[in-house]
Amino acid sequence: MALPSYTKPGERIFYYFYITFCGVVFFFLMAPLVAIIPISFSQSPFMLFTEGMLAWPPDPDAWSFRWYRYMVGICEDKNLTTPCGNKWMRGTVNSFYVGTISTVIATTLGTIAALGLSKPHMPFKGLIMSILISPMIVPLIITAAGMFFFYAKVNLVYTFTGIIMAHVALSVPFVVITVTATLVGYDTNMTRAAQSLGARPMKTFFKVTMPLILPGIISGALFAFITSFDEVVIVMFMASIEQLTIPKQMWAGIRQEISPVILCMATCLVVLSILLLTTVEMLRRRSENLRGIAHR
Amino acid sequence: MEAHISTAEQVLLTTDGIPLKDSLKKTERRNKIKAFLLVFPLLLFIIVTFVVPIFDMLGRSIDDSQINQVYPKTFEEYGKWDKKADELPPEEVFKAIYFELGTGDKIMIGRALTRMNYSKSGWKSLIKKTQRQIKKDLKAETVITSYKDRLIEINEKWADRTYWYAMSQMINERTPIYYWNALDRTYDAEMNVVRQSEERRIYVKTWIKTFKVSVYVTFFCLLLGFPVAHLLANLPLRYSNLLMIFVLLPFWTSLLVRTTAWIVMLQQNGVINGVLVWLGILCDDCRIQMVYNETGTLIAMTQILLPFMILPLYSVMKVIPPSHLRAAANLGAKPFTAFIRVYLPQTVPGMSAGGLLVFVLAIGYFITPELVGGKDGQLIGHWIAYHLKTTLNWGLCAALGAILLGIMLILYWLYNRIVGIDNIKLG
Amino acid sequence: MSKFFKTIIAFAFLSVVPFSASAEVTFVSWGGAYTESQIKAYGDTYSDPDSIIFEPYNGGLGEVRAQVESGNVAWDIVDVLPSEAIIGCDEGLFEDLSDVAWTDAPDGTSMEDDLAASGVTIMPPCCAPQIFWTYVAFYDPDNFPGNWSGAKPEGIADFFDVENFPGKRGVHTWANAIVEMALVADGVGVNDVYDVLETSEGVDRAFAKLDTIKDHIIHWSAGSKPLELVKSGEVVMSLAYNGRVGAANLSEGENFEYIWEGQVIEQEYICLMNGAPNRDAAIDFMIHASSSESQAEQAKYITYGPMRASGIDIIAAGEPWFHTGINVLDQMPNTPDKLAISVIGDPTWWADNGSEISERYGAWMGN
Repeated sequence: MALPSYTKPGERIFYYFYITFCGVVFFFLMAPLVAIIPISFSQSPFMLFTEGMLAWPPDPDAWSFRWYRYMVGICEDKNLTTPCGNKWMRGTVNSFYVGTISTVIATTLGTIAALGLSKPHMPFKGLIMSILISPMIVPLIITAAGMFFFYAKVNLVYTFTGIIMAHVALSVPFVVITVTATLVGYDTNMTRAAQSLGARPMKTFFKVTMPLILPGIISGALFAFITSFDEVVIVMFMASIEQLTIPKQMWAGIRQEISPVILCMATCLVVLSILLLTTVEMLRRRSENLRGIAHR
Repeated sequence: MEAHISTAEQVLLTTDGIPLKDSLKKTERRNKIKAFLLVFPLLLFIIVTFVVPIFDMLGRSIDDSQINQVYPKTFEEYGKWDKKADELPPEEVFKAIYFELGTGDKIMIGRALTRMNYSKSGWKSLIKKTQRQIKKDLKAETVITSYKDRLIEINEKWADRTYWYAMSQMINERTPIYYWNALDRTYDAEMNVVRQSEERRIYVKTWIKTFKVSVYVTFFCLLLGFPVAHLLANLPLRYSNLLMIFVLLPFWTSLLVRTTAWIVMLQQNGVINGVLVWLGILCDDCRIQMVYNETGTLIAMTQILLPFMILPLYSVMKVIPPSHLRAAANLGAKPFTAFIRVYLPQTVPGMSAGGLLVFVLAIGYFITPELVGGKDGQLIGHWIAYHLKTTLNWGLCAALGAILLGIMLILYWLYNRIVGIDNIKLG
Repeated sequence: MSKFFKTIIAFAFLSVVPFSASAEVTFVSWGGAYTESQIKAYGDTYSDPDSIIFEPYNGGLGEVRAQVESGNVAWDIVDVLPSEAIIGCDEGLFEDLSDVAWTDAPDGTSMEDDLAASGVTIMPPCCAPQIFWTYVAFYDPDNFPGNWSGAKPEGIADFFDVENFPGKRGVHTWANAIVEMALVADGVGVNDVYDVLETSEGVDRAFAKLDTIKDHIIHWSAGSKPLELVKSGEVVMSLAYNGRVGAANLSEGENFEYIWEGQVIEQEYICLMNGAPNRDAAIDFMIHASSSESQAEQAKYITYGPMRASGIDIIAAGEPWFHTGINVLDQMPNTPDKLAISVIGDPTWWADNGSEISERYGAWMGN
């Protein structure tokens, strides 16, 4: 939205102010993430810029991969300030495991429910929608407390099942919301056409409906995954060491350890996210080019 | 009369000979059932894994049955005590508690003790000491003429009216006392609701603080998020997608990491103060205190929750046709007027969805404020977690939670009235 | 597509199989370096090291009570604070162990006498002793503020003296220990603190003393924070868990100095869950973990002091004791000379008054 040539000076000033403001907000969003990356390469156990790190020319003793080695479980020094072990790696595996399974369940159940909700005949639509969305509305600490008491009764605390169930419940609203939103723009004549041509409901869904609402499903699934992947309050109460996830280990790290290992993990995840996002963007551009769609 | 009706109903029939109305009804019912069946698995899942646990917990907020199982006789007699006439409860109360302590189940009494200590500190050691002595009495088969004198002899605190007055809070099996406690209220001797003693008044202040922080954070998120969402929605896709990474990346980064990062940024020898001193804007001794206080909480929470504002706003703004603004301009509206009258109203669903999300998340936060908030960091979520884990005062924990939940339901209801839940959108 | 779904369903089903109780003893503790020292000192020296699983938790009896109440007990041994040991025992969350034969000290002293020699007179009947840890004030002499005019803070009174020792102080966000310290700083003898606190005037006196430094406090809530606060210069001195300071000194080459006078010594216990799935094995392990030798062994890895006095003797005889080959007794909070100038925390008083004091402290902080 470049400025047209006929803009008045006042508007011009406003425009530049607006752009600067947005720039500041983007900086505000990104600055903390950028600031921690150098500290993850620190030699010191404290999460701050040491004098050696700020010195010019750089002091090689102040920088190291020490905490990255801790993270992957290579323990060479006898230091016990920070226990060295496979916890971070185990946490990573568990986080992806719990995240993937709860995403698949939440996306499947959520998409099916969204299909039902978008039918014009759906009874008690408002009430049902409210119930399905409630996990997003209820403050997490209440959810965690309630689930903790209840799951203890049915022997589900300290199990993967319990955590996955809790995470599915937390992520379902995101799937339901995004998929119903996509279905608003979905032309039901498509379904009718498919069915009149003899396709069974399942086939209609997989061949016609799903490809069309796929962007909504994917976006809901991403939200679901992040909800589970970043969830700390539930796992704080309901996970044992068997179910250790990255956020739980980070929480332990912040409270119990003096070390920037948490920043190493964060740096890795940030890099991973950047790679993922740029790949997706590049794929999108490529497919656009292939389809011959001009850039807007 | 009958004939008249039969002529009026020239019933339409389908080819099967069923009245069309019935057939339509049947189809509609079948469609309804079909739609419901699609939703049913998820509905059932949410009810079992989420709704039931929450109601189960809320039940604890009015439940005082455990202690009433321990002292049934004492509480019954206690109810007969005329507090205006007698300084201390009648002999029957002393006798009842004497025997209920002497013969009661140790563990049951132990659990009741924890409960008693919430109403007044000191019950625990008083009861434990007394219980030990009574057990000795019973073993030695001591003859007791006045249980009142005997108890006061064992420990003079039994003659302290404040202990007896505190008991009034516990004698009902179903009780609103935890709700009153959650609002800094308690019962006096006559079971009238009065304010807590001054140094224990903590929750009302915490409620206000929690609200203040949540409102500020929501406001700042809107203030910062609106222009950014507008920019993202109006840039060509290739640029907006790149800039979107700046929103999504923090969104995907653990809130614990971002909290830690803000401490690194904001502390006195942190990045921001360091840069300001280096630039010569600040002197070395006048570094600003930006963290371990409310400022830190607001900055960190705003950044953490900002994506939750930007994403719904963006999805709403993206579908507002730019032609509307042009049309307004063509009709002579100044850009500002056009923006206020035409554009802004169309973003209300986005603003309210984002606002609701941010507010809900903010009001329940406790980890970030606790880590960066210093003395101002204890929001209501902190006390819920504290009573859950440390004091075991689950009644108060549930009452605080129930109040919080009630507030959320009201907001949600308002949202539903104003915008409609169908209009909520994310990214 | 269908194969994919089958795999997913199979996965989901696998995850649905409930956690089966194994024959391994679950030992739940605070995590971090502390649990690590327990693994090294108790786990690795045990006859069957692989039979013990060490789990971290966040403290508090919430999870313990939820397990016992629901009848689904997953843990065997829990590492708790002394007031929680008392409450948990009263409530029947922990099992009474009065009949267990704990091991004697090498010179034949019984466990009870051994504890009494350290100043602990009441031991919760459901638990075995662990360590002494303390809330202690410390500062970084390398970061020494110029405006202290060369003086060094020597007692807790100096921590409360913002005139001669200007600068911010780091204090935790809960009431434990700080109330006692305020009284000691106000001139109460270390052994009389709880007598003063018995009356409400005593509590008022403590809070009045706290008022004098209120505007100079930065509150922390995570145990690793005070070191960063002091190291980064955010505060000039801070209260901390002594083990954290010790770890930084012994393992990271830091040079933090303690202000031992007026520290508050806290006890730590391991208790047996009521209904523990592996009760007998757990008791056997508790006997091992509470022996003088095991307790002394733990001091090789962390600077928390053995609760049994004989443990200190073993360390004194074996110096340099720390696993890196450094003397450790200087960093230990409960050597006899330090015991004399410390408040020994009274868990009974805290079990009685903890909730009320915590609320009052919270209200005080927020005002």
